[in-house]
Amino acid sequence: MRLVAYFALCSHVALALMSSLPVRAEGIDDLDALALESAPVEDVTGKDTRKLFVEGALGTANQRFESGSQGLSRASVDFFYSTALTPGWRGVVSDRIDYIRPRDASSDATVNSLREAYLTWQQSGGSTVFEFGRINMRFGPAYGYNPTDYFRDGSLRTEITVNPLAIRENRLGVVAVRGQRLWSDGSFSLAVAPKLGAKASADGSSLALGATNNRARALATFNAKISERVNGQVHIYKERGLPRQLGASLTALWSNATVAYAEWSRGREPDLLSRAFAQPATTTKRNRFAGGLTYTTSRKLSVTGEYQYNGFALDRSGWNSAAASSGVPALKTYLMEALRRQDLASRGAYFIYATQESVGLNNLDLIAMLRVNADDHSRLGWVELRYHWSRVELAIQIQQQSGRSTSEYGLAPYRRSAQILAAYYL
Amino acid sequence: MGTDRATMTSNVLLLLALFLGHCAAHAAPDAQRILAASDAIRNPGRPFSVQVTLTEFQSGKQVDASTLTAYSRAQQRGGQFASLIRFVLPARDAGKLMLKNGNDLWFYDPTTKASVRLSPQQRLLGQASNGDVVTVNLAKDYAATLLAKEEIQDGERRTRDAFKLDLKATAGDATYTAIELWVDAANNRPLKARFFAESGRLLKTAYYRRFEPQLGLERPTETVIIDGLRPDSVTIMRFSDYAWRAVPETWLHPDYLPRFQPE
Repeated sequence: MRLVAYFALCSHVALALMSSLPVRAEGIDDLDALALESAPVEDVTGKDTRKLFVEGALGTANQRFESGSQGLSRASVDFFYSTALTPGWRGVVSDRIDYIRPRDASSDATVNSLREAYLTWQQSGGSTVFEFGRINMRFGPAYGYNPTDYFRDGSLRTEITVNPLAIRENRLGVVAVRGQRLWSDGSFSLAVAPKLGAKASADGSSLALGATNNRARALATFNAKISERVNGQVHIYKERGLPRQLGASLTALWSNATVAYAEWSRGREPDLLSRAFAQPATTTKRNRFAGGLTYTTSRKLSVTGEYQYNGFALDRSGWNSAAASSGVPALKTYLMEALRRQDLASRGAYFIYATQESVGLNNLDLIAMLRVNADDHSRLGWVELRYHWSRVELAIQIQQQSGRSTSEYGLAPYRRSAQILAAYYL
Repeated sequence: MGTDRATMTSNVLLLLALFLGHCAAHAAPDAQRILAASDAIRNPGRPFSVQVTLTEFQSGKQVDASTLTAYSRAQQRGGQFASLIRFVLPARDAGKLMLKNGNDLWFYDPTTKASVRLSPQQRLLGQASNGDVVTVNLAKDYAATLLAKEEIQDGERRTRDAFKLDLKATAGDATYTAIELWVDAANNRPLKARFFAESGRLLKTAYYRRFEPQLGLERPTETVIIDGLRPDSVTIMRFSDYAWRAVPETWLHPDYLPRFQPE
């Protein structure tokens, strides 16, 4: 009898062990996780937002029009501070100093960019907002080219990257007064920017008001949530001496993994070639457009494909005739003007932007970008690999520009370049 | 007469059956009610703010830590939570904002002045997706079925009697197709949850632990999240500085993000 009871007990124990094996294997993982402790809670009960970092870069570039390679170096200090002054009032200052070697021919080696300095007041609840000072007013959902970003021209003092998302971090704001009214499903804003200077200054310490406020401008923007998945913006833009321009943009959640966007602007103004050579202003009515999709895979890869169109840029035949009649220096002047205005130099272009988080290692991120001129098929490729710790970032960037000798990217001074960057957040 | 008796007997039996059935229905716990009670423990009933400390581990080693402040309110339409999340630490992310209002997801960076619309898949990549296992009214988006009453180990490795609920998504835009949720049979506290994709793949396991008095109730102040694909990847979310906070509707508009002022 005791033997029977013993066997019965053993069989029960064996069955219990067998049935619990998979659960136990999973349970061990969970128990390991449950033994972990949270990092200490930091005291962050402030009403200020402060960001200060120093960055250094060293690199080399393979020159297209000179023999040998050229060394590249840069040191930067970047500062952003936003603080509550009194209930409802807030002050924002954002500044950056770059020391760049070799320096740009048209500016000092050390360039200060006072990006923003403004006061803002808002009603309790945030339904009415007023701002005045130098404000970075950026519009448009597209990644590589923003037709509705009406205050983009003259906004860059230094060209330290070709990554459009990083370019946005360095641009100057416009001195303006802006009022905005918000409600639950939309908003309306009106910004007025006066003329405060005539032209951009080469002085590195200049406030560059002549670059950002060289004519009086006004922009009215209406923003609406059209549905749970679609948002839209309509803009009316006016600058002294030119007729009104109309612009619109849409972003839509296409699927669980896809966001679609489009932006368009139409107006009458001089074409880009006329602007580059300050020719007598003959204006034409044209469109600008950018539209694309961002798709994200379950493996942490996000890819954006975008088509860009600028009706004011030279088309293929216009480019070829300008090259034949005025030569390479004229094309370079044209490209410099496109860069200064942050405008698209070709009639059409394709743009691909990809990001991959945790490439093989946690905290190691990859960004890759490709611009293709749809008219002359020249290309700009750029890749960045960046590793970040809590206060330090290390990155390597590689860039290549290729195309025929008279193409957009075939005229770039560097064929390819590589640089290493280090940033420290204080 | 015999027919009358038989009819009467069958009526009595029917009434008895109905009565017993009614009693049984009262005796069996209502899964949806348990789910709603569990939601109420995780989610304060009025707009609030909370500081969240996220600690990430790989194979038991801490690899990252970040701090953010979440401002949340239940929406008038649908009752689901909408949140504005302000990144505080590390320094490189200070001031960045994320807005989640259903599937209306936006990311804002004050240095680029760009409000970028995100897809739910993009959000799932980052730590923000872990907010889904914390501030979400599951009862609004899922139909619950009681599977069993069983003993489990809770987040503090103590054995608890728990109701195991099977949750199936009823809202088309619910982030997870199915969830298994264990709720403390004694007090409806959420103890553990497993979140599944449409393919049936386990996306994450969450343990709710360290219940402390916060905003009028004993609420979990830590959630341990174990990655379903890589179980050696663990995130601990710690909640502190709970406070009732006015969160106006205008805060939940993407156009407000550049105007947001921490209070």
